[in-house]
Amino acid sequence: MASPKRVKPSERIRVWSIRIVLWIVIALALIPLLYVVTASLNPSQSSYSASIIPLHPTLSNYEEVFQSGFFTWLLNTTEVAVVVAAAQLIMTTMAAYAFSRMRFLGRKYGLMTMILLQMFPNSMAVAAIYAVLAQVGLLDRLWVYMLLLIGGSAFNIWITKGYFDTIPKELDESAVVDGAGHITVFLRIVLPLARPMLAVIFFLTIIGTYSEYILAGTVLQSPGNYTLGLGLYSLINGQFAQNWGLFAACSLLAALPLAIAFAFLNPLMAKGLTSGAIKG
Amino acid sequence: MKSTRRKSGRRIEFSAYGYLSPAVLTMCILSFLPMFFTIYISFTNWNQMHFQNYNLVGFLNYIDLFSPNNPISIAFLPTFVWTVAFTLISTSLNYFVGLILAVFVNDKALKEARVYRTLLIIPWAVPGLISILAWQGLLNQNFGQINALLHIFGIGAIPWLADPFWARVSVILVNLWLSYPYFMTVCLGGLQSISPDQYDAADIDGVNAWQKFRYITFPSAWRVSIPLLIPAYASTFNNFNVIFLLTGGGPDRLTTQFAGYTDILASSAYKLALQFNRYDLSAAISVVLFVIVGVMTLINMRFTNAFKAVD
Repeated sequence: MASPKRVKPSERIRVWSIRIVLWIVIALALIPLLYVVTASLNPSQSSYSASIIPLHPTLSNYEEVFQSGFFTWLLNTTEVAVVVAAAQLIMTTMAAYAFSRMRFLGRKYGLMTMILLQMFPNSMAVAAIYAVLAQVGLLDRLWVYMLLLIGGSAFNIWITKGYFDTIPKELDESAVVDGAGHITVFLRIVLPLARPMLAVIFFLTIIGTYSEYILAGTVLQSPGNYTLGLGLYSLINGQFAQNWGLFAACSLLAALPLAIAFAFLNPLMAKGLTSGAIKG
Repeated sequence: MKSTRRKSGRRIEFSAYGYLSPAVLTMCILSFLPMFFTIYISFTNWNQMHFQNYNLVGFLNYIDLFSPNNPISIAFLPTFVWTVAFTLISTSLNYFVGLILAVFVNDKALKEARVYRTLLIIPWAVPGLISILAWQGLLNQNFGQINALLHIFGIGAIPWLADPFWARVSVILVNLWLSYPYFMTVCLGGLQSISPDQYDAADIDGVNAWQKFRYITFPSAWRVSIPLLIPAYASTFNNFNVIFLLTGGGPDRLTTQFAGYTDILASSAYKLALQFNRYDLSAAISVVLFVIVGVMTLINMRFTNAFKAVD
């Protein structure tokens, strides 16, 4: 057997083939994004080319962003996202704490039942939601849309419970000896130690709300109430050629803050998603 | 089984229901109630013609869905077949691409793997809705940059979103672009839980790279990712965004207006309710969706024994 220091030629071929495959995949994954950046810097109506470097660089698309409804849409979406994420966080952590630390009837099958029932998201019930809201005259209201998104998420509870389970029970027990009840253990011990997971849940909910279209499309109608999704869709659908540059500029402005937050949270996210499964 | 089992104090803690109630109550009101109401509507004739005075019509909507030559069934049956095909092809492809990339960037011989990992995850960092709409622009047949790029390689303009076949290819490829980083991340979590001893032992036994993958790497990644794979199938089945925002369900069929070539059941239920005001038919399609997703989940659970550890 070869000594571990020397790299065998076959090994070198293997590593280089992996490397080249990865380069190709990375190029395929990132070129489309670079094209969106290019489009945002090219004047609208210009002919489209395969060049990644903009041929006639201009900031006119970014100036136009101020005249479009972009900031209204961004504000609406952010408002909804923050309220929904905060509500999710409170409900998820409370329920996850119960599943992780308390004894009650339904503990064993409750979570699984909820996960199964939530295979049917309420976006599948558009007909019921639309028809009822139309009949009682509650369409086109931002708070109704917000409310529809607030429902507890069994998936979030599940991954949060997985994380809570990794926090040593000895910590709670020593607090209980000192006379602490569940509220103290929950607020003073479990929640502070689970901060990374809380950031992940908050962020995943924000991202999810930014990408929500079906219920927004069902409930909201007037451009003043548009979310980012409805607004961007109205830009690109139908009049693609006129608005492609403007659309690209809006998209980048909307996506950038989230992408930066994502960069910080991604390692935690990977841990959060798999911690529940690994211990099983 | 685990250290969670405690002998002392076997009584029920009723305060647990207090902790659970916000999540459970909102879930019931906002998720389950609309679901039950959808089932009810599917047995009525609630549409634009009978908006104020609708009544129960029994199984009429379901009969319409399945009776030949009815315009709705001409739309329903092919849409149904395409929904199933899309779910199976797209989710499996996303998973396997994610798994293979995870194995590649987890390779110890690749010193710069960290950089690749970061670059490969970037599509996940962009909210899906924005990137799907951007893809709609990039894939435009006449003005899109993808066709401009292919032109350099001597490939003629591909009607990505206008031709039934290519529209379906586009939907699957865009969904791959959107989803592989998630599966790669999940599989990496599994791969990193493998202890290096296992590979060392395999080396001593003279095991080749494929056997290592087959017997060590793959089972570990599979074990960690399977509980997440099941919800992934269900969510592809209902992946409204990637269909509606990319192709709008189009190109249109000549034979029926109710569903285009790439429409899945979720997007055609949406169109029926919002564009055609046929709440009755839309609800019936949703109920068919409920049933399929439910059966799929049960089969999957039997098959994989997932969620067994949820106690």
